[in-house]
Amino acid sequence: MLYFTLASKAYARNLQYRGAHMVHNIASAMFGFMYACIWIGLGADHALGEYGTQGMVAYIAFTQSALWVTSFITNGLGIPQTVRTGHISLDLMRPVHLFPHLMAREWGQIAYQFIYKSIPIYLVYYFVFSIQLPGTLTSYLYVAIALIGAAYLSICMNYLIGASALWTTESSWLYWGNHAMINLLAGFFIPIEWLPSWLQTIAWLSPYPYLLYVPTRLYLGFGDASYLWGTLFWCVLLTLICLTATLLLRRKVEVQGG
Amino acid sequence: MIEVSNIRKEFRTPVVKQGRFSGLRTLFTREYRLKEAVRGISFQVEEGEFVGYIGPNGAGKSTTIKMLTGILHPTSGHVSIGGLSPHKARREVVRNLGVVFGQRSQLWWDLPVIDSFDILARMYGVRETEKVKRMRQFAELLDLESFWATPVRKLSLGQRMRADLAAAMLHDPDVLFLDEPTIGLDVNAKRNIRQFLKRLNTEFGKTILLTTHDMDDIEQLCRRVMVINDGQLSYDGTVRSLRDTIGLPTVITVTYRGAFHIPEGYRISKEASEPELPIRLNIIAVEDHTVTIEVNRKEIHTLDILNLLAQWGELADVDMQDPDFEDVIHKVY
Amino acid sequence: MTMRSWISLYALLIRTSIRSRMQYKFNFLLGTLLAALIQISEFLMVAIVLYKFGAIQGWSMHEIGYLFAVMTLSKTIYRMFADEVHHLEKYLVNGELDQLLTRPMPVLLALLPQKFRLMPGEILQGGFLLWWSLDGMMADGQISWVAVPYTLLIIGTGAVILFSIGLATATCGFWMTRITVLQNLTEDAARSAAQYPLTLYPKWMISLLLFAIPVGLVNYVPALYILRGELGGWILPLLAVAALFCLLLSVRFWQYGITKYQSTGS
Repeated sequence: MLYFTLASKAYARNLQYRGAHMVHNIASAMFGFMYACIWIGLGADHALGEYGTQGMVAYIAFTQSALWVTSFITNGLGIPQTVRTGHISLDLMRPVHLFPHLMAREWGQIAYQFIYKSIPIYLVYYFVFSIQLPGTLTSYLYVAIALIGAAYLSICMNYLIGASALWTTESSWLYWGNHAMINLLAGFFIPIEWLPSWLQTIAWLSPYPYLLYVPTRLYLGFGDASYLWGTLFWCVLLTLICLTATLLLRRKVEVQGG
Repeated sequence: MIEVSNIRKEFRTPVVKQGRFSGLRTLFTREYRLKEAVRGISFQVEEGEFVGYIGPNGAGKSTTIKMLTGILHPTSGHVSIGGLSPHKARREVVRNLGVVFGQRSQLWWDLPVIDSFDILARMYGVRETEKVKRMRQFAELLDLESFWATPVRKLSLGQRMRADLAAAMLHDPDVLFLDEPTIGLDVNAKRNIRQFLKRLNTEFGKTILLTTHDMDDIEQLCRRVMVINDGQLSYDGTVRSLRDTIGLPTVITVTYRGAFHIPEGYRISKEASEPELPIRLNIIAVEDHTVTIEVNRKEIHTLDILNLLAQWGELADVDMQDPDFEDVIHKVY
Repeated sequence: MTMRSWISLYALLIRTSIRSRMQYKFNFLLGTLLAALIQISEFLMVAIVLYKFGAIQGWSMHEIGYLFAVMTLSKTIYRMFADEVHHLEKYLVNGELDQLLTRPMPVLLALLPQKFRLMPGEILQGGFLLWWSLDGMMADGQISWVAVPYTLLIIGTGAVILFSIGLATATCGFWMTRITVLQNLTEDAARSAAQYPLTLYPKWMISLLLFAIPVGLVNYVPALYILRGELGGWILPLLAVAALFCLLLSVRFWQYGITKYQSTGS
């Protein structure tokens, strides 16, 4: 119940800015439009594998919308800021575990971004590029599961980035580094199978493909549900790492005395 | 030195819409609310004066200062500093101004203090020999040397304020505008800053205009005070006569040696005594050997009161307490 | 204040900035390394497409690398010297612009020396990429050494154009206060778009990128001449004129905008 309240507060806090966010969506849509143009241009001279030009446009449309659920979330879940202001020791004193507490807030944020960013941006692409939607109900189900898993993974990764702020004052570069990795290894612009093989190997050894590539493949009807086991594996692993990180963080704050 | 005639300033702020698509509607419509921050203020400051400018939050203090320094253009009216308008000839005027905003620093955040001074010296075209001479002077007066090499972001508030003051004086301006220079400082830091300002005014003859919420600043530094309230000047005169105008009572406690006698007609009460008595005073408390009275010193000469009190018995000790300045200001607001 | 004393003031700022950055060696090296890494991963995105498909709209890997490098270097110059123009919003929101208005010089000239940002990561990445693509094209006999001075020239004009776009966008802040969204469009999106040959885009978008937000003039148009011998030699002086025109226009706009400045606070 507490967690639901935290989430709905985070959701409602954003509602007051939705007008400005709608304007921002135009800017975001321009980026996707640009990427789609590049693929259309390339598709004129080259066969674009199993996707085809239309498929690659749908690929870009989906990744660009999904970004707002699985990548563009609060920097370090806001921990770097609480470290700077010293609020972190207050948060650690609360009778709720820090990880689920921050996670609940972030779920509210993600729910808001899904409704007011992902969907409007997707609708723009849907009409501009007349994109085909998946045919079967099961694929919708798989996509939904993959997206929720991806959002969870993203929360875990940002929690770890945020926790690093206790050890270095420059944790913001980790956030940007994470974004660079998403651009490269998550299939943000180029499907992973087109990467050079060494980069593909690195990508599949990391959780990054599950953030964008896997949901998009499922959405386009190319993948099967077995991908989702990978999502589950990383969710479990990162949860364990996050819980360990909380222990270390607690010790660190106690040593520093707040 | 400073001449201000009938300046006004209106601000237009966009009206924030409520309800559905409020953000979008605010963005695309132009509906404004007019706010008159300053409504016709005039005054003159002579060379070498030290003037306090006070008023409650939101009364228009900072807006006035910003108009004097050329940051904001008045909606109407004229400002002239040393004979020039800070709006038409901003660059010439600010060359002769030192400005300190207590809430913000004009120093370079990441650079050591001394580097900020080097840059400022170039900016104002201060010659190397003069720069060195002045910095030595400031370093001594404000004790800057201990943190010359520290980046500004690592300074304490008091150190930062001292550095900022010195920075504002580096180009040796004749006029100094200080917007809440003692805000948030501890007692020691405040005293340091006040001493420095006092010397700037008395020894170097700088003209200073100071806004503050700390009445001790005004009492210890300024001879003249201006009070702004709701965009208009409600008082302009000496600190002393401000006290008198308000007419808050002075409290006098007398101790008698031996017995004393209070004549008929003076009652112990909170209200002023009947008008037919020769001297209007108010007895607050009577104890074994002491009588405490309240009296308005603007109506009665102090000697007259003492003469009267001496008639009641043999005086051993007299203690007079002038009204607290904070209370005076409270009355004006 | 004369132009010469302003430049000596700016040079002083650069010296002191570098000195104070160097005091924190570890942070400096880390930041540099990461900036370079992020830059490289950005280029890898383009490189992988080229690796997979060989060319984009008939533009070879070296040519695309050139487009990318020129854009990176122009942007780096703009952001090194005029980072505070990009961050004007901070000055408007906190009312820090007040401070600059009390300086005895035009506000823009007071704003620029507020910060000098050292960007070695971007210079390394851009410089390396430029060297790689020029070297490759010279080896193929596509271009001669003349391309080198031409390239240095257009990196300069490009920086002026990007600065003008940045300044015009920032000026909108005098009316809107919040400008990050607008910057996202006119600076980030437009610049990313020009990292590829403009022929990829629909007609209206090409004209937009050439005339309204002229990022195409930074790298694409000069590359047509320098790398492919299209257009003609007249294009370089024309670009210089265009850059100065953009600068003039945006400075005029800025001067108008600043009269609309409403300081915050009481």
